[in-house]
Amino acid sequence: MTAVEYYRPTLLSSCALAATAAEARYRIDGPMMSTRASRVIALDEQAAGIVQRVSELPWSPGAHFLTYESPESVAGLGDSDLDAPDLDAPDLDAPGVDASGVDATLRAVGGSQSLLSDELAEADVAVMVATADSGAQGASIIGNACFMRGIMTAGLVIAEGGAADEAVSALRPHAAVLVVTRDEGDVPEMLTALRA
Amino acid sequence: MLKQEINDLLTQTGPGTPMGGLFRQYWIPALLADELPEAGSPPVRVKLLSERLIAFRDDDGQYGLIDEFCAHRGVSLWFGKNEGNGLRCAYHGWKYDVTGQCIEVPSEPEEHSFCQKVKLTGYPLVKVGDILWTHMGDPNNRPALPEWEFARVPSEQTFSSKRWQESNWMQALEGGIDSSHVSWLHSGGLKSDPLFKGAKGNQYNMADMKPFFEVVDAEGGLFIGARRNAEEGHYYWRITPWVMPSFTMVPPRGDHPMHGHFWVPIDDENCWVFTFDYHPVRALSEVEVQAMKDGFGVHNEYVPGTFRPLQNKDNDYLMDREAQKRGDSFSGIKGIAMQDASLQESMGPIVDRTKERLVSTDAGIIQARRKLRKAVEALRDQGETPPGVDPAHHHVRSAAVVLPKDEAFIESSREALAVATGVRQTSV
Repeated sequence: MTAVEYYRPTLLSSCALAATAAEARYRIDGPMMSTRASRVIALDEQAAGIVQRVSELPWSPGAHFLTYESPESVAGLGDSDLDAPDLDAPDLDAPGVDASGVDATLRAVGGSQSLLSDELAEADVAVMVATADSGAQGASIIGNACFMRGIMTAGLVIAEGGAADEAVSALRPHAAVLVVTRDEGDVPEMLTALRA
Repeated sequence: MLKQEINDLLTQTGPGTPMGGLFRQYWIPALLADELPEAGSPPVRVKLLSERLIAFRDDDGQYGLIDEFCAHRGVSLWFGKNEGNGLRCAYHGWKYDVTGQCIEVPSEPEEHSFCQKVKLTGYPLVKVGDILWTHMGDPNNRPALPEWEFARVPSEQTFSSKRWQESNWMQALEGGIDSSHVSWLHSGGLKSDPLFKGAKGNQYNMADMKPFFEVVDAEGGLFIGARRNAEEGHYYWRITPWVMPSFTMVPPRGDHPMHGHFWVPIDDENCWVFTFDYHPVRALSEVEVQAMKDGFGVHNEYVPGTFRPLQNKDNDYLMDREAQKRGDSFSGIKGIAMQDASLQESMGPIVDRTKERLVSTDAGIIQARRKLRKAVEALRDQGETPPGVDPAHHHVRSAAVVLPKDEAFIESSREALAVATGVRQTSV
């Protein structure tokens, strides 16, 4: 078979030499993406304080700042199923564990409550913030819920040393990226970079 | 996304700029040692951090890195004659020693002290390993010499090269931190490159194209772990260290040599990419060194007699659409180094980060920018020495490991990520 002959670049702007500052003027300056709908969810009380402080910065209206409160049963799933959630390695195929059936109550910074499922209905990124081991349960439930819905996830763990090992382990299977840091200031930096 | 003023802060490294001030805290690679191979070698033009300099060795073999231009009429000293204890300007014969001190002004009487009052800016130039390093900051605040493992192992265990990249240093560095592009852009190389192929870890790479990432603070910068599924109950981790401001290492593969980069600003629109390969416990084989010289692994081929890559903007990087179609390389560009450079240069000389749309897997880049910015501000406002200056921060390695799923890579790999003389790298 004869190989197809392609035309070689003719103009400066049609070859790699066009990567100059002057040529950058001709890059299309149109909107590439609609505003992101971010859910920033604290997994423990100390993290809730961080999320509260971060929420006071200017963000797009699509950003919601929340705290995980408790698991919530939904139709077809009794309370007993929530007593011992598989926190370490949620297995969606295991009998009796249907992460899509586990919901959660979230508390907004203003105090109002909402369901995780409602919050995720319009979300396209969920950022979980943890500081202590008590965040493991929330990480597992929220991470599963995001996984089921194909929502981008990130976990931010603000802790010294191994203070949040369990939360880190719980977040690991679900957060596409996990950042372990000592600096609370990394939270707004991450959100800004993600255009929250 | 970054605000324009932050983008400016991170990308501008000339004299008097905050990031330029940060770079001037460190010993940075200036030249390959074989650019000045012997006493009396011809002078070499060097531009670093937006300063035009000339490097030379006097007849005693001492290295000098001084202002390129003669104090008299601004002539380039590259045309000068390397003569005895200094470099003599070709125009009127003014002569400078390796510190930049003028030692002769032929037109003035010998007993006249005029030349003692003339001194060009001069920086130290020191050979450590295959690299000549300079410190362009305050001489009263000069740190201890670099202790990177690649520059400290015996010479037969290490190989370095450098190439010119036509982009700002920061977007080149970000490529070194961004592990998520490897499964795509460099996928072809895992099968065929003599410096990568055959490692068991490659199978994990190819079987799981959606790695998850963990980014962990380190004393000198960050560790970025990319994990993929391995055998039941295990993850395959590839761990990249970044040490401030611009040192990165690629996680190893099998017993192949380890490699990494220094990304050094030439000016705000160009940088040097210094690339090294080394093995901690054995000499590099002739086959390996030849492969590096031939541009395999993370090295590249050159326009003969230059440090400009053979594949460059002028020839559309010798793009091969048929190779792309066949899957020999994902982008149709040959070689890891030029696959990266072609895309990073296409972003423009300084990419406009106000327009980018980052995703969560860009967290390593986000964290690196944040740490650089904090360090710049702490240096500028409090005079705080930045991470990475202390040679103890240089004692890092990359690693590739298989761990049980519930183990944190940073805890389980502490020893693997630290330099241990005479100990083989941790690799899969």
